[in-house]
Amino acid sequence: MSPVQRSPRNLRLRRAVRLALPGALALVFAGSYGATPPAAAPVAAPPVAAAPVAAPGVRNPAHLAADGMAPPGPSVRNPYHGNTKIAKAGAALFTSMNCDGCHGGDGSGWVGPSLADGRWRYGGSDAAVFRSIFYGRPKGMPAFGGVLGARGVWVLVTYLKSLPAPPDVPTESWRRR
Amino acid sequence: MRAAAALAILSLAVGAQRILAAAAPAAPPAGAGGEWRMPAGDDAATRFSRLQQIDAANAPHLRPLWTFSTGVLGGHEGQPLVVDDTMYVVTPWPNVLYAFDLTRPGYPLKWKYRPDVNADAIGESCCDAVNRGAVFADGKIIYNLLDGHTVAVDAATGRRIWKTKIADVADGETTTMAPFVVRDRVLVGASGGEFGIYGWLKALDLHTGRIVWTAHNLGPDAGMLVRPGIFHPPYVSGTELGARSWAHGTWKHGGAPVWGWISYDPKLDLIYYGTGNAGPYDADERAGDDRWTSSVLARRPEDGALVWAYQFTPHDSWDYDATGAMILADLTIAGRRVDALVHFDKNGFAYTLDRATGRVLVAKPFAHVTWATSIDLADGRPVVDPAMQTGVAEGNVKGICPSLEGGVSPSSPAAYSPRTHLFYTSTNNLCMDYAASRVSYLKGTPYIGVTSPYMAGPGGNLGAFIAWNGATGRIAWKDPERYPSWSGALATAGNVVFYGTLDGWFKAVDATSGKLLYRFKVGSGVVGNPIAYRGPDGRQYVAVYAGIGGDWALLAGDTRSDDPTDVRAPADFIKDIASRTSQGGIVWIFGL
Repeated sequence: MSPVQRSPRNLRLRRAVRLALPGALALVFAGSYGATPPAAAPVAAPPVAAAPVAAPGVRNPAHLAADGMAPPGPSVRNPYHGNTKIAKAGAALFTSMNCDGCHGGDGSGWVGPSLADGRWRYGGSDAAVFRSIFYGRPKGMPAFGGVLGARGVWVLVTYLKSLPAPPDVPTESWRRR
Repeated sequence: MRAAAALAILSLAVGAQRILAAAAPAAPPAGAGGEWRMPAGDDAATRFSRLQQIDAANAPHLRPLWTFSTGVLGGHEGQPLVVDDTMYVVTPWPNVLYAFDLTRPGYPLKWKYRPDVNADAIGESCCDAVNRGAVFADGKIIYNLLDGHTVAVDAATGRRIWKTKIADVADGETTTMAPFVVRDRVLVGASGGEFGIYGWLKALDLHTGRIVWTAHNLGPDAGMLVRPGIFHPPYVSGTELGARSWAHGTWKHGGAPVWGWISYDPKLDLIYYGTGNAGPYDADERAGDDRWTSSVLARRPEDGALVWAYQFTPHDSWDYDATGAMILADLTIAGRRVDALVHFDKNGFAYTLDRATGRVLVAKPFAHVTWATSIDLADGRPVVDPAMQTGVAEGNVKGICPSLEGGVSPSSPAAYSPRTHLFYTSTNNLCMDYAASRVSYLKGTPYIGVTSPYMAGPGGNLGAFIAWNGATGRIAWKDPERYPSWSGALATAGNVVFYGTLDGWFKAVDATSGKLLYRFKVGSGVVGNPIAYRGPDGRQYVAVYAGIGGDWALLAGDTRSDDPTDVRAPADFIKDIASRTSQGGIVWIFGL
């Protein structure tokens, strides 16, 4: 169990989050913050490297590895991958964690980049998106791992990865038809 | 013990101030002369240049003479300074400061200053990583870094003299405004109305950067520097107004940021500045008037004491910041000469106030307004249309005008010409729907709670540049613009007014008629403010930045080209802006 999840501040926030969320998600959180962490949740050892398994259509799933040799590290997998009920809960969490304040409603982009365009600045695998949210990123993406814990972050990842990536059309045209 | 010492210092300060006030020199003539030393050119924030070499007859012969790429893409708000034949330019984050030698061909750099600015501040900025400029005083160029620091740099050498932490990025505070200097006080505030900050204004010592006083804009009287016998708001009375006007202590995260412009009246020895929106955007979470958000505050520069305050938009439910410029002008209203303060508010009304008391003399819409029908001059309050009141309980409220981008953006300061007695300002013609939602305060994350799509107001054009009579509250002339008009204005004694457009035209128009005299396509949308100065050769020049941004709604996502991992559909209210401009960062100088 990560100590960060036991701090009084986090207890307050967890309460706030529970109040803000629909019942289904509260259940997810009850599991997440329960005494026994589920085996799949990598809370004790933060992931340092993703299993370089790209989902179909995901570009640049991981960093380039020098000499083609990926560094060793614990494998990380999304315990909710493809779970539509969790994805729905993640949509509510996206709002209640104020993600939409920077990334726009439905993750369509505002001062922060679009998360719904199928393109990813720091890699689009579940594990890479997890790292972005858990640890934060430069230029002001806060680390949410402390307030949400690994489970909460996976709920968000599952939501974001459920957004249907639009067809990648690189051309924007203003020619009169 | 500490309180007693503070009192002693205070009474000393008050005494000193009385002496200063008695010995105050006559106010300098309005406007800027050959140099441009402060954000608006003068203490009164007129953005008026007394230079008259460029006039309505020769303005059609203007031409671009010099350009410089700042190397930064992003909203280039603010304006250059020109002091002692040197031009100073501050960029958006990472806030590089350039000093150009105007005496040598090609204007080579004397030096550049590259501060270490925390990149996290970008994500803690609501709208774009902008900077609204620097101020010159006592041989120093003083400006804010986005990450909550004020720096003073030696104007001659570019060496840093002092650096003071004034704000905390971890709390959602960023620093975008241009500092303002009165005597030996440097006045600074912080942005963060979208991050639930506890808004304030601070005064730093000009010589050391030490924080002399901090005055909050909301909350308890002690924090607001409200002192018995000194604070006389024109329409309300009582104590703890800034705390009691909020339900359940919600002032603690109530916003009231300071990111606009400050002006100063040496005769009254008062500074004037506007405060931003109340947070969160869901007004149901903070029942009450929410003072002093969306307000103008008048303070004494010496000790920060609040002298009067007036709230333009009580219980702000539409994100109507009042951070736009407070322009000091001496007007004749119905035959009576008045020391006035004129302000174009995001809420669509232009206000003419008595700047000694804060009483409203004239308040009329300068843009299309639906949220209120008028301002009641008896109590100073807007007559709000109840159907336009927003909040979670009200659901999706439609057809609110102006939109939360404002009848004018506070980033686009107006100008005043004492020659025509007219004010000149950009305006937006946008309306919005507003669906509020509940939010929880999470330190360092956005505290907003609204979905608010925009649409064009009546007529279909998204903006206009107008001339305004502050004595009568009427539009004198209006130049419609295809897009929201987002640049500041410059008025000159040559009777020529300058502004830029979002699709990248820099324009000179006749101050009396609004007739277009000259225009040039400057490479990116203009959201900065033109200035005028006299070059070493004795000739008049005009300078302006090109660099669209400052608000991601303007960028519509698709005007960006610098990030292949961030592609978006154009915003539906401004679909084709990307066909006419893209991001930039260019300094332009024009002349005859």
